[in-house]
Order: sequence, then C-alpha cells, then structure tokens
Amino acid sequence: MEKFKAFCIFLSFLFTFLLFMSILSLFLVPNPSEIISSLKTEEMIYSLKLSIATSLASTVLVILFSIPVGYALSRHDFIGKSIVKSILDLPMAFPELVLGLALLLLFGQSFIGKFLESFGIKIVFTKIGIVIAQFFTALPYAVRVIYSTFEGINPRYEFVSRSLGYGELETFFRISLPLAKNGLFASTIITFARCMGAFGAVLILAGGSYMNTEILPITLYLNISYGNLGMAITSGILLIIISFIAILIFEKFEGVNSSNFKKVESIRN
Amino acid sequence: MSKLSYLEVKNISIELGEFKLKDINLKVKKGDYLTIIGPTGSGKSILLETIAGFYKPKLGKIYLAGEDITNLPPEKRKMSIVYQDYMLFPHMTAFENIAYGLKKKIKSKEEIEKRIKEICEILNITHILKRNVKTLSGGEQQRVALARALVIEPEVLLLDEPFSALDVKTKENLRNLVKKAVKEYGTTVIHITHDFEDVWSLADRVAVMKGGGILQEGSVEEIFYKPSVNFVAEFVGTNVLKGEVIGKDENGLTLIKVGDTVVKSVDMGNGDVLISIRPEDVVVFYGEKRCKVKNIRRRGEVVEITLDLGGETLRSLLTPNMLKTLNVEDEVSISVDPNSVRIIKSLKQKISYKN
Repeated sequence: MEKFKAFCIFLSFLFTFLLFMSILSLFLVPNPSEIISSLKTEEMIYSLKLSIATSLASTVLVILFSIPVGYALSRHDFIGKSIVKSILDLPMAFPELVLGLALLLLFGQSFIGKFLESFGIKIVFTKIGIVIAQFFTALPYAVRVIYSTFEGINPRYEFVSRSLGYGELETFFRISLPLAKNGLFASTIITFARCMGAFGAVLILAGGSYMNTEILPITLYLNISYGNLGMAITSGILLIIISFIAILIFEKFEGVNSSNFKKVESIRN
Repeated sequence: MSKLSYLEVKNISIELGEFKLKDINLKVKKGDYLTIIGPTGSGKSILLETIAGFYKPKLGKIYLAGEDITNLPPEKRKMSIVYQDYMLFPHMTAFENIAYGLKKKIKSKEEIEKRIKEICEILNITHILKRNVKTLSGGEQQRVALARALVIEPEVLLLDEPFSALDVKTKENLRNLVKKAVKEYGTTVIHITHDFEDVWSLADRVAVMKGGGILQEGSVEEIFYKPSVNFVAEFVGTNVLKGEVIGKDENGLTLIKVGDTVVKSVDMGNGDVLISIRPEDVVVFYGEKRCKVKNIRRRGEVVEITLDLGGETLRSLLTPNMLKTLNVEDEVSISVDPNSVRIIKSLKQKISYKN
C-alpha cells in the first residue's frame, strides 16, 4: 500500500479511537450508583425537564422561521439578499459567548428590550432568555439546511402546480413543503440537537442560575465548578444520549435521502 | 389585435441572468400547432415560461383571446405545461397527479373520474393509474404528464422538449398519441423541440429562435424550403445555393444553372438567385459526371454526402445501401424534383463567389 494512503487511514483510526475512548470514559470512569443517585436529584430532573421544554419550544420557533426564510432565499431574488445570507451565516462562525453578549445588550440595554419589558416580557436572566439564546444559536443551521433543501427541488414542480390552477400559497403547501419533507425533518433534528447543546449564549443571556435557568449544559458547568464530578458527568451522559438518539433518527432517514444528509454534513464541517 | 391570432406575444423582452429575450413577436391561431426550434441557449424555454406567466417580461404584452394577460398570475392563464423531465409530483400516484389540476376546477368526484378515464384511454395509461410515479418508465411518465396537462382542457398547451429524453420508438408512439389527443381536445399547442421529426409530424407552423430572438416564423414548408436567413437554412439543414436563371423549359419550369449543373424549379425568377434544396430531395445517380463527391458521413440511419457542383456545395441524404459502390472523389449526377427547388431570393447584382 502507498505510504501516504496508509498514513491517512492510520490517522482516521487514531482519531476515531481517541474520540471513542473519551466518550467511553464518560460512561466508565464514574461509579454507576453515583450516576443513578445524581439522576434522581431534584436539580437533575429540573434541568432535564427544562432542557427538553426549552429546546422543543425553540425548535418549533426555529423551524417556523427558517422555512419561509430558507424558501425566500432559495426562490426569490431581492435587494439585500446577499447581505441577509451573510448575516444569517454569521452566528455559525461566531463564538457562542459573543452571540450571548450581543443578545444580552440587545434585549437588556436597547429599546427592543425596554419595549418588550413594557409588555411585561422579560428576556434577560429568564427562561424566555434560554429559548431566545437557543433560537439564535440554532437558526442559522436550520436556515442553511432548509435553504439547500429548497435549492434541491426543481422550481418547475411549482411552475406546473401554478399552471394547473393553484396559487402561490396553495402550491407551497401542496407541493413545495411535501417535497421538502426530508430536509425539514433533518433540519428539525439538527435544530433540536443544537438547542439541547447550546451553552455560551444561554449562560450569558439567561444567566445560568441554579434551579431557575439551569439546562443540562449549565448543570454540567455549575457542578464542575463546585467540584461535583458525579453530577457533571451525569448531565454529560444525558447530553450524549440525547445527541446519540438524534443521530440515530438522522441516520435512519439518511437512507431515504442521502443527499440531504450530505448537505447537512457539509454545512456542519 | 386581429381576430385570427388567439395567442399574441408582442415585443416581449426579458432578462434572466445569462438568458434573455429581445423583442419577441409571435401570433398563434386557435387550434394551431406551433413548434419553436433553435439551438441550446436560444431562449426557447424562457419564452415558454414567460408565456405561462412564471416570469414577468420587462417590456411587451401577451394577449390571450384578446385579453391582456401580461400581469395575470400563471394559475389564472389556463395554460398547462409539460417538461422534458416530466415533473410529476413524486409524492402522488399517477392518478393523483392527473387529478391535481382537475380537483381545482371541478368538485364532483364522478366528473373528475370520468374525465380522467377519457384522457387515459386516449393516452393508453389506464392500467398504470394506481402506480407510484417513481416506478414508471420514461414514456409512461411523460404520458401521465401529458394527461395531467390535457385533462384540464387548457387554452394553450405548452410543451418543452417533451420527447427528448425518450427512445426513438417511444417518441414515435407518443407523437401519435399527442396528435390524437390534441385533435380530440382542439388544443392550441406551442411545442419546443430540437427534433425535426416533431416538426414534420406535428406542426402547422414553425418559429426559429437564436440568441433570444425569433429569426423566422412560418409554415413548415416555408421554414424548410424557404429559409429567410442563412442561420435558419443551416439550422434546419437546407442547402442554400447561388444560381443563375438561364431560361425556361418547354413545361414553363425555370432553368437555373448552379455551378456546372442545371436544375429546374417551379418558382419564377431571373438573373442571379438564391435557391434552396432539402438534402433529402436530392437524387444521386451515375450519369453525366458533373458533381464530385467530396465527403461521406454516416448520420444514424442515413448517410450524408457532400457534393461539389463546380463551386457550389450541395449536401444530400442517401440510404446506406446506395453507398456500396460510391466513394469519395467519384463523379456523379444529381436530379431534383422541380417542386423541391425553391427560389428564396433574387440577387440584384452579379455576385462574386467568396470561396
């Protein structure tokens, strides 16, 4: 075998081995009874529930927003389109902490925050803040996946539907959306996984306070700072399991539509 | 707008990225079958999609039955479209695809089923209605797409290279079905193609497009026998030759000297003229040796030979069995039916041969 080829394959194995060992150590290092007792603590249950609830809420919001945005970016030419695209992509390259800081300033200091507050809606250091932070972290990914899904659908399907008497909106719901089904599913999974794992932005905007705005990544962070390794590892395991399930669901449908999977992969890399 | 033109495209200009149409004018009578031919990138599909209302023209108007439809959305134009790659909705069965447009038009389920049955019998697809469209062959998919477009009884049926992806036999079969269906429904058709078979077997009229404009529009006869511009002649494969009218024969046919050969034409003319001859109308035989075979090229089922008439080049189509004894550099004679020799243009002054 050529030396370079052998070297590349060796590296892939080495990396996979290290990654696998690190995940495995998460499950092997702690004492099982400690994990079980950690799981049963009020804090862990609270954190898990809050994580799932906020992630579900933000996923729904993200998808509702990114479908029209992705569709508009794919189908329509409008003034400022390239600017919209670049700005939407920004948070992907942005450190999450900076995104959190930016959101904190927007909702805390600016007129928008004050305007919302006049209606009694508080965002900073609240559970709504968690959802907002997750929303902004995950939105760019969802928009990208949905955008490339619509890009992959020949607009002539829509033309045919229009010519057969269906208006713009009817065509969107009867043709475009059903054809984008797989991509929408993929982006939902990605979005949910991103929301579950969102940390930096949530910490800054929602505060990461004990048993109030505490989601799983925050639990991990808080407990590692107290030196409470059992609790930290348990929340880590929970996060791993959730992303594992997400990947499994994703892989299962990968066979149905591998092109979308590739799109998502290329976006994530 | 004249009463005769049913669909009229007036001075349409549009720009879409690399493609553009400039100042397109087109008139189609009710029940006419118009084919649009032209090289790739000439703007044929854009024109069709602009007529359908998917693109808004920058300039110009489109009229249907006297009504200005330029700003009407596609769903209100009563035109349906069939594409080369079928565009059947993959999340629906063949039946659901065909019923899609009808459901919008009529509510009665029995009526929908009755109409679908009718069109499916014409197109011979009754047996595949329950199938998932992804499992159908190309020919079957295109018949479903045609049924879907025809069943709503559109004012105008737009066909965008509908047979290009199909094999020769399926193409032939589909052409016959389209002919039958269009006749049955009295549909006005605009059909884009690059296959001259479509033109000969289906069209009443032909428009030739190049670079976003229409170069010539006319009857099939006119386009193929009297191409107005060199490009059209070249594109449709017609020989355009320079000749000189030298008199009339005893039957009143015009005698035209082309190089060293004399051909007869039914058309009148005098002096120097441009004439057109379809390559398939040229008969080659061993007789007086006046023309030299310059080149022999196999083109599918026929062979194209290039002849030198003494300054003028003439292409002729032969069947391969005629070729067994024919070689390059051989000298042969030609004969062309006077009906197939058309005078396109009189050239006022004596022309000098360029080559």
